Amino acid sequence: MSAAVEIGDLSFAHAGADRPALERVRLTVRPGETVALLGPSGAGKTTLLGLVDGRLRGWRGRVSVLGQTLDPDRAPPRRTRADTGFVFQEYALVERATALRNALNGRLGRMPFPAALLGRTPARDMDAARAALADCGIADLAERRVDGLSSGQRQRTAIARCLAQEPRLILADEPVSNLDPARAVEILTLLNRVARARGAAVIFSSHQPDFARNFADRAVGMRNGRIVFDAPADALREDAESALYRDADDTAPSRLQLVT
Amino acid sequence: MRGRNFEGFAVGALIACAVLWSLATSGIEPSRLLRAGPRIVEFLGRMFPPDPGVTEEILKGAAETLRIAVLGTLGAVILSVPLGVLAAETVTPPALHRPTRTLLALIRAVPLILVAMLMVSAVGLGPLAGIVAVAFHATGMLAKFYAEAIDGAARPPVAALESAGAGPLLRLRHAVWPQTAPVIARDTIFRFELNLRESLILGIVGAGGIGFHIQTYVRSFQYDKAASVTLAVVLMVAAIEVVNARVRRYFS
Repeated sequence: MSAAVEIGDLSFAHAGADRPALERVRLTVRPGETVALLGPSGAGKTTLLGLVDGRLRGWRGRVSVLGQTLDPDRAPPRRTRADTGFVFQEYALVERATALRNALNGRLGRMPFPAALLGRTPARDMDAARAALADCGIADLAERRVDGLSSGQRQRTAIARCLAQEPRLILADEPVSNLDPARAVEILTLLNRVARARGAAVIFSSHQPDFARNFADRAVGMRNGRIVFDAPADALREDAESALYRDADDTAPSRLQLVT
Repeated sequence: MRGRNFEGFAVGALIACAVLWSLATSGIEPSRLLRAGPRIVEFLGRMFPPDPGVTEEILKGAAETLRIAVLGTLGAVILSVPLGVLAAETVTPPALHRPTRTLLALIRAVPLILVAMLMVSAVGLGPLAGIVAVAFHATGMLAKFYAEAIDGAARPPVAALESAGAGPLLRLRHAVWPQTAPVIARDTIFRFELNLRESLILGIVGAGGIGFHIQTYVRSFQYDKAASVTLAVVLMVAAIEVVNARVRRYFS
């Protein structure tokens, strides 16, 4: 089976930026593996995840997602997009719609186009959306509008939308940084459980090495657009946090400082 | 400092020239202005009491004005949905949304009464001319409002649907539309109110509606009947305001 994500020598700069957001990034994620992306704000985590999700253009290098080689100038095929789920930090839900409608939005890439446009959801897609809500423990909130839900319930809805896609790869950009610590552990436990149950690979970004230790197989550290370490999550040293975040000059912390 | 003083002087001189030129070339005779007072009193006197005998015409005319406003607004909505999408900078590339915006600005620049006169000569006297004129004129504003509503929608849900594999039309339908629906409803009702007000006078150029009767009665010196129609128009405008205030509160 091919890798879930295979990135070689990837570089990218945002339009008008004076330095690249990603520089010579190399990363491989195996199917079913959970990888934590660590690093300070501006390290390039969001850019890397958005690029793997197929939402950025004009990068250089090789990116292959679920066996599909991405074209730097073109949107990825609909199937690859549907197979790749994304969980946003700010949930990115349609606030005036119900939790069920939001979960159904995750099915739009798989439904026949006329049915999707008219909102005539086929039974199979309805079942997938309801199952996703149930997996996230919010089956009873299906008919509630999102703007009336708590932040934890919203992130559960957002994860349900992602699960409704029946993804083989889940990308999560700081999925818990808006939540209190108890809620954060709850959501990451949920994400871990549903991903393992479906055999999906996960890449989630976070500021907290603790989350990497508890929820990931591997921890990848980023700084200034480069990957500065890539190691099994349980090898992450206690002082990894301070090493990664100390506001030193541009010299990347050495691998030895971060992992035992 | 000297530059500033000169600018102030130039602006003042320009305004003075404009006023003097207008006064000198309008042929205003102060005596006519003085005699106007008694004439207006006489005119108002002949309007009073309003003739209640024209109730039937009033009701028919008001109904026709209402029909013009309803169908004109419907036509404007049908034109504004595609034009609004084309004019939205968040969904349409600049090569297309810029010319669309220019076109809408040009439409807005043409006064309704002028459009109505053109339409009367194109499709003949009657409400059809009024309906087409209102639809055309209102589109200039409504499509711009729709475009602004689309551009005001939050982007993250749109990105989320893109990520799930939804194309541009599905993103419009399931991410943009649910966010903009209340704004679009409010804008449409507001434009309907304007259409109703503006179409009250369309009859003056023969484009149908209650305004036709005002023109006929004034021209034939039946001021008491003209007064009744005018009163009806004032009442309609007031009623529109009251209804609209309620509807708008419902949608906010």
